[in-house]
Parts: sequence; C-alpha cells; structure tokens
Amino acid sequence: MPVAEGKSVQQTVELLTRKLEILGAEKQGTFCVDCETYHTAASTLGSQGQAGKLMYVMHNSEYPLSCFALFENGPCLIADTNFDVLMVKLKGFFQSAKASKIETRGTRYQYCDFLVKVGTVTMGPSARGISVEVEYGPCVVASDCWSLLLEFLQSFLGSHTPGAPAVFGNRHDAIYGPADTMVQYMELFNKIRKQQQVPVAGIR
Amino acid sequence: MEAPPVTMMPVTGGTINMMEYLLQGSVLDHSLESLIHRLRGLCDNMEPETFLDHEMVFLLKGQQASPFVLRARRSMDRAGAPWHLRYLGQPEMGDKNRHALVRNCVDIATSENLTDFLMEMGFRMDHEFVAKGHLFRKGIMKIMVYKIFRILVPGNTDSTEALSLSYLVELSVVAPAGQDVVSDDMRNFAEQLKPLVHLEKIDPKRLM
Repeated sequence: MPVAEGKSVQQTVELLTRKLEILGAEKQGTFCVDCETYHTAASTLGSQGQAGKLMYVMHNSEYPLSCFALFENGPCLIADTNFDVLMVKLKGFFQSAKASKIETRGTRYQYCDFLVKVGTVTMGPSARGISVEVEYGPCVVASDCWSLLLEFLQSFLGSHTPGAPAVFGNRHDAIYGPADTMVQYMELFNKIRKQQQVPVAGIR
Repeated sequence: MEAPPVTMMPVTGGTINMMEYLLQGSVLDHSLESLIHRLRGLCDNMEPETFLDHEMVFLLKGQQASPFVLRARRSMDRAGAPWHLRYLGQPEMGDKNRHALVRNCVDIATSENLTDFLMEMGFRMDHEFVAKGHLFRKGIMKIMVYKIFRILVPGNTDSTEALSLSYLVELSVVAPAGQDVVSDDMRNFAEQLKPLVHLEKIDPKRLM
C-alpha cells in the first residue's frame, strides 16, 4: 500500500532506509514499478462520441510475468507480458502520451510478515517524489489488518502516515489483490505528476 | 492501418514476433471417428483432450478502412483457466510456394474482466460462437478438430445450434518469424491425413 511524501528526495530515502534497518528489516534486493500512459487517438473519437480516455499500462517487478492495464475508475486488466507487444500493434488507435513514463525504483525490505519497499519516483531524468509501499503478507482482507498496518507505518513514518487508501472505499471486506496495489500506484503517480517539480535541495 | 510486413520489423522490446502457420480442412460428421482414430495414432501419446470454448470477436473501428480485430476466448469446461486474447495479422503474401497460411500472431493470457476492459478501450463485439471438439499435439504442431455452434441468444451460451454438419480441422504452429521449414513439416503431416481430410492453405480474404 503505497504512501507518498516529497522532500529532498535522496536524503529522505536514506533516512527511511536507515530507520528500517535499525528496526531490523533485511534488505532483499530491489524493486521497480513503472507506468506508461496512452490516450485514444483522435481518429477513434468521432465514432464513439466521448472524450478521449487515458489508459495506464503498468509493470511491477513483484509480478515479473504480468502486465497491468487500467483505466481511471475503470476495470484493471491483468495480462501477461505479451500485452506490451499488442500495444505496439495498437499504435494507430492508442498513442503514448509524450514524456509520460513514470517509475519508482528502490530497495525491498522484509521485516517478519511485512514487506516494505521504499523507492524514488522519477519521471525522465528528474526525481519527483518518494513512494513507500508496505504489504502485510498473511492477510488478504483489507479491513482486518488496516489498524496493524497503520501502527507499523507510524513506527517509522511518524507524522507522514497516510489515511486509509481510497481503494478500500466501498469494498472493505473484499479480498485484496495485485490489481488493487496497481490502482494505488496509479493514483500516487497521478498525484506526483500534478505536483510542481520538487526543487532540488542544496547538498549538506 | 496495415502494419508493415512483420519480417521486416525489428525485434521490439526484447520480444520476437511470433507467426501462426495454418492449414485448414473439414470432415463430415460421419467421418469424425476415423479421423480421430488416425490422429490418435499419428500424434503424441497423451490423454485425449476435448475442449469447449466460447469465443468473442471484437472490433475497434477507427478512421482507417479496416477495423482492428481481437479475439477473446474462454474455456467453458475448465474452471480457473485464464482468458485468451489473440491478435492475428494480415496473411503474409510473400512466397506463393509456402505451403501454409502465415500471419503475425500475438497471444495474451488475461484475467476474467477482459470483455469489460475491451469495451472500455472502445472495442465492440462483432460476433461470438462456441467451439467444441478435440485437441491433438505432435511436437510443436497443434491439431484441432472442432464443431462451431452459433449462439442463438447473444450472451447465452446454453442455447446453441450447430453451424454445419461437419467438423473444422485445423493444423497450426506458432513459431518465431522466418522459420519456413515449419510449413514443410506441416505439409508432410497433412499428407499423412489424406484421403480422410485435405488440409490446405485457405486465404480468408477470398471467402469475403
């Protein structure tokens, strides 16, 4: 469940990772989540009479053989990696929004049943923010473990702990799945895209 | 929009373009048993496999003359199997001596909300049908003998009627682009099925 904050990026990431290591988390390699945006090309709009929609195609290194495609407030399709090949074929109908690729890369930590991923969100060459994802392995129903997650988040995020993600809005008791994680990442990336570029802090 | 001939396209994003090589034929219902018997002898030794699939064909109409076609297929008898999305390109016109129909093919396994997702993308369903039959394998070759059923009430797969009194026989291979030796192997195998069934290269455009 990703959380975002943006300060002076590099230092904040180091602060967070040091806190996690002091807590006792073990470093377990790296992770990457990326997102590309496509919009329906002008040629297909006339026949549908509706405004162009944005489609997000995302990948998550946690699920290396999958590709996630979603519409905002719409269905999220989980497909295998050949979906990217299909998007190339659909070039005439869906165009990639310019300079829209956004990704987060960082380290993966394991702390007992929690999986924590702290990453730097970058758009092109510039770092735009930080993403923190915490996953509680044993539980699949969100409402059952939200308070536990909140407590854990508070232990190392302090005042930056977020509220319950919108994804749980009306489905507190539904089984949580990878699609829900991707929806949260999409919302996070959109929020970061809308923000002004984070000013580069002086090196201390 | 016609995609450029696939064999000219570079390898994009680390994936190689896959081609489907296809030969088709048909047998009347009463000859089915003898064909199955011969196929069981010629093909790889495995449990006879039957399938019952529901296929929906979706079109995306754009400014271009020809709409983009995608085929969504789901298994009706195997619970939990992923949906199968398939794109088939235009047949490669290259070599007249090539024994099989060759076209670019992209196969994607997806989650169950595929139809909702395609509708959201702007696709509309053109037609649907149910396919019921047998599946055999020999090495990389796949042989399907199946009957097509027309769906009488859209969306209701229980009320179907057979389209004809015959079974469609398809011999297909999905292989990377440029492997023409595949079509020779297919022709050799097809020879062994004569005179029960004549498998040949059928150009879909000639039927329209």
